[in-house]
Amino acid sequence: MATRAEAQAIPGILPGKVGVWWFLASEVMLFGGLIASYVVFRLGSAGWSTESAHLSVPIAAVNTLVLLTSSLTMVQAFAAVEGGDQPRLRMHLGLTILLGLTFLGIKAFEYTFEIRAGFTPGAGIFWSFYYTMTGLHALHVLAGIVVNTLLFVRAGRGTRNWHQVELAGLYWHLVDIVWIFLFPLLYLT
Amino acid sequence: MASHGGRPNYVAVWAWLVALVILGLAVSFLPGARSMAVALIFATAVAKALLVALNYMHLRSESRLIYAIAIVPVLFVLGLTVALFPDFVFHR
Amino acid sequence: MADTAFATVAEHSAHVHDVKPGFWHTYVFSTDHKTIGKQYLCIGLIWAVVGGLLAYVMRWQLAWPDTAVPGWGEVGPEVYNMMVTMHGTIMVFFVAMPILLGAYGNFLIPLMIGARDMAFPRLNMLSVWVFAFASLVLFLSFFVPGGAASAGWTGYPPLSAKVEYTGVNWGMNLWILALALEFASFLMGGVNYLTTAITLRVPGMTFFRLPLVVWQQLTAATLFLLSVGPLIAGAVMLLLDRTIGTHFYLPDLGGDPLLWQHLFWFFGHPEVYVILLPALGFVLEVLPVFSRKPIFSYRGIIYSTIAAGGLSFVVWAHHMFVSGMDPRLAMPFSITTILISVPFAFIVFAMIATLWRGSIRFDTPMLFALGFLAMFIVGGLTGIFNGSAPADIYISDTYFVVAHFHYTLFSSVVFGGFAGFYFWFSKMFGRLLNETLGKVHFWLTLVCFNLTFFPMHNIGLAGMGRRIANPLQYEFLVPHQWVNVLVTVGAILLLAAQIPLVLNIAWSLLAGRAAPANPWEANTLEWTAPSPPPHLNWETLPVVYRGPYEYSVPEVREEWLPQDQALAAPSR
Repeated sequence: MATRAEAQAIPGILPGKVGVWWFLASEVMLFGGLIASYVVFRLGSAGWSTESAHLSVPIAAVNTLVLLTSSLTMVQAFAAVEGGDQPRLRMHLGLTILLGLTFLGIKAFEYTFEIRAGFTPGAGIFWSFYYTMTGLHALHVLAGIVVNTLLFVRAGRGTRNWHQVELAGLYWHLVDIVWIFLFPLLYLT
Repeated sequence: MASHGGRPNYVAVWAWLVALVILGLAVSFLPGARSMAVALIFATAVAKALLVALNYMHLRSESRLIYAIAIVPVLFVLGLTVALFPDFVFHR
Repeated sequence: MADTAFATVAEHSAHVHDVKPGFWHTYVFSTDHKTIGKQYLCIGLIWAVVGGLLAYVMRWQLAWPDTAVPGWGEVGPEVYNMMVTMHGTIMVFFVAMPILLGAYGNFLIPLMIGARDMAFPRLNMLSVWVFAFASLVLFLSFFVPGGAASAGWTGYPPLSAKVEYTGVNWGMNLWILALALEFASFLMGGVNYLTTAITLRVPGMTFFRLPLVVWQQLTAATLFLLSVGPLIAGAVMLLLDRTIGTHFYLPDLGGDPLLWQHLFWFFGHPEVYVILLPALGFVLEVLPVFSRKPIFSYRGIIYSTIAAGGLSFVVWAHHMFVSGMDPRLAMPFSITTILISVPFAFIVFAMIATLWRGSIRFDTPMLFALGFLAMFIVGGLTGIFNGSAPADIYISDTYFVVAHFHYTLFSSVVFGGFAGFYFWFSKMFGRLLNETLGKVHFWLTLVCFNLTFFPMHNIGLAGMGRRIANPLQYEFLVPHQWVNVLVTVGAILLLAAQIPLVLNIAWSLLAGRAAPANPWEANTLEWTAPSPPPHLNWETLPVVYRGPYEYSVPEVREEWLPQDQALAAPSR
């Protein structure tokens, strides 16, 4: 029976980070469920490549670069916080928001173009997956933009919210990683 | 912007990410064995994901607990995908 | 550092809020984990009444088909389907989850680890509000044109995927929405529980000094967090199939209904352990206290729990043996299912070993814990039959399965749940429950439960199928109809048997004796706080010196030795 009291917190672990990582784990399962379903359906039937050929690889490639760059600006925002540089934080948060909006704008343009060409969600099982996966992803991008905007506003008021920037960044990077897989799954194969 | 305070060089990572996107695109346009191309494309995707996770999400410097929380769901998704093969890949 | 930072904030707010918060802040918009726990408990108990009433109507229809059910009216097949669906949905997602996880996870975890509150109190408040909203959505689904969902609590397509197959349109969509909201609520909760237990334990509270109920809650939260994602994906796909014409589950257009079953049960099986584990935890707390003995094999139970949790992710297709899935999957999933019985068997043996040569106190919490043990063994044994594919081909979708899962779920939610309810009532509400009423409640429930559910084994083996509204339309079931009547009588008595509980709660809250801090003479940290604990739980946070199960130890004269009690130097 020990009588010496020892501090039990795992060194360096802050609650916010643990919480966000658990949340990200559940998000991986969510997108993973969709992706797993897509992969097995696709491998099990023919004719999907002819459908996916109707997608625009150049547009999606641009979008991929947009999102990857937004990850850079997001982590630069975090670096600015670590350096105590408020203006640089605002600038990079602002850039991340703009890039996110660009992504959504391009996506909206893409959807309009595809639906006008007759490729609705009901047009076939490939399209069902395409719209669901990219649509759910786009909703997540939107949510990230909202969070980043809130942080942007708070940064303007001078509040020290460095930890929250890191947490929002973790979420944003996961959204980027999901797209890193959606791009080849839907467009390149 | 050199790396400081033990943080990765974020811009260098970004450059690699862009390079991998271009590589993936190039491979997808090359003629030749389709399955090789697909394998290579997904290899670039995995590499990009790892770059973002290890460097931007700082998994490189996080504790083992965080690393476990990150890796277990990925393994579960892979397991689920494999388990779905008999019903959807071999039977359709 | 996280501890002290959080503690400083808490200390600070304790002084700042010297002004007494009003009614709304205390009871409705509270971030206090104890209040949030009680809110979950309230909503869960209300839904339990609804779920029980649905069972009453269903059982009446089964015993006396096509007669008017007193208090309801005639029940046709469509309405019966709706009742079966909503009974299952309500009991699993709106009774078991909020009571076992929402109420007791919230209430106990901070108290048992020595924290002032959860790691994210405002997220906690949001979670119970989202759950309340989910409840509202589900409730409203009863009143929309077409009625509530009627494709079973498992919602299999194609029945659930096309409006014209059930005639239910908005009811089914609202069902999906209500579940999605409920999942969001418990995702928030799960994140909170895990983060709190990882980061806010007081000095001395190592992981291997945590009370077992905390381990069970954490494992349940992990299981939920990691299993619900694919079902949310599947539910989104189902909603889209119903509304915008996608083709995930409709075979005529390239989809496959089997996909839903895989996604549903990938979640569905861990989900039943999400429900079972907290109840197991309650019993694991009660048994040592009322045997005045340490728990048998504390670490063995923890490792078994983790093993069962891990295995729970690879057994799901045992719900699909007759689904038409690839027959080669039957053997591996049968094997994993049989394997998962091993850690649970270990835990059951550990419980029995805890009792062995203990100084048993037969208070109401202990009676319910023992009731759990006995009934769960029955349910677990029939699980072996169900888990073995050859046997399951015969008994799947019969009342044998209904008997199995009620013996396991009911033991968890009701016997395990009530063990916890009676055990921690005084800590939650500051009043003692009446022991006599409690004992009456227990014995009536135990007898009526068995009367209701044991005969289902027999009638299931005789071939009575699940989800049928009128057994008499099957000639071979007509000679067995007396069993259905017997079960219905048992069910009505079982519902009536809950009256002593209602009386007990009312009496206790209105006129019961004020409870002392530690009426059961137990060791864990929640008993060092007043009953009920004030906001922020303690003036000074406790320090922990030992594990939670030091009962009847030679070092002290008393039969119990609290975790936070410092011992004098050994030379006494």
